[in-house]
Amino acid sequence: MGLESEVAQLRRGDLDALSALLTRYQNRLYRYLLRLVREPAEAEDLFQQTWIRVAEKIRQYDSRRNFEAWLFTVARNIAIDHLRRIRPQSLDEPIEGAPGESAATRLPSSERPVLDGIVERERTSRLAHALDLLPVTHREVLTLRFEEEMKLEEIAEVIDIPLSTVKTRLRRALDRLRQTLETHYPGEVWQ
Amino acid sequence: MNDHDKIRELLALSVADALTRAEEEQVMNHARSCAECSSELDSWRLLAAGMRRLPTPQPRPLIVERARARAEIRFAEEAENRWHRIVMIGVILFAWALTLMSWPVVRLVSGGLLGMLDPRLNHAWMGFAVFTTIIWMTGGAAAVFLSLQQRRERRLA
Repeated sequence: MGLESEVAQLRRGDLDALSALLTRYQNRLYRYLLRLVREPAEAEDLFQQTWIRVAEKIRQYDSRRNFEAWLFTVARNIAIDHLRRIRPQSLDEPIEGAPGESAATRLPSSERPVLDGIVERERTSRLAHALDLLPVTHREVLTLRFEEEMKLEEIAEVIDIPLSTVKTRLRRALDRLRQTLETHYPGEVWQ
Repeated sequence: MNDHDKIRELLALSVADALTRAEEEQVMNHARSCAECSSELDSWRLLAAGMRRLPTPQPRPLIVERARARAEIRFAEEAENRWHRIVMIGVILFAWALTLMSWPVVRLVSGGLLGMLDPRLNHAWMGFAVFTTIIWMTGGAAAVFLSLQQRRERRLA
């Protein structure tokens, strides 16, 4: 069953379609939420809230819109509200943590890519850590572009900013990521 | 800012596939002839590849199942609420129709149609007001009772 058909069925009230959509997006949505809030327990809670909100709002979803962008917008709104309530400073400021350890690397994952040995794994771990140190706006745009592989137009729709701002933010985020890697891991291969 | 500096500004966006075709061509043409930019582009590519290879964290199966169950319950509640709204609108329309249809009855047992049109408080008006109040209060009480009962049943379930 295709995505459009699942969404249409859900709008008609089919619970199986809800289950199918959840299965389809569970990993991507969770990863996105985790990148935003960094704490697995919070991401799990927001993950549940997102699907409850989807169940509530699916009839208001305009089927001419991109469902994926709509779904991520729902998740984003919930996550941003959460951050504003719990850690308002996290919307602007990066955090410091133990080098090499990040929310992403602490997680169990059955989908770890096969890398060429320990060095590669270590580099991935450092990159995940550097990503965690960025402000939420930068983490968000990077994960949407590189992990979710969204088009720039879709990112603009999710974040609700102009396309030109997406490009600017993306460039700044990449610059900042490289700077962070240079600061924390001087001499690393990225430079 | 010369061409070289302009192109350097575009290198990061190039690896993010965020340039127009013309800009991309500009970058590629320049990188072919500029060793510095070519090396810079390679390092951005490495970073972008690293980003794309980051592990995908997964939610615990328990959380997924809990999300599924809670969303399904909410979905069912929403459907039920929609149905209730439709029923309520139907009941209200029916009640109004019944109220309006009761006019001839009131006219029959009271002073006739002319009495209803009399702006002063007379038997026809009082009869109509009492009749309408009883109907609406009975309807309201029934709605409240049904709603409370349903809420209790949901809690027990």
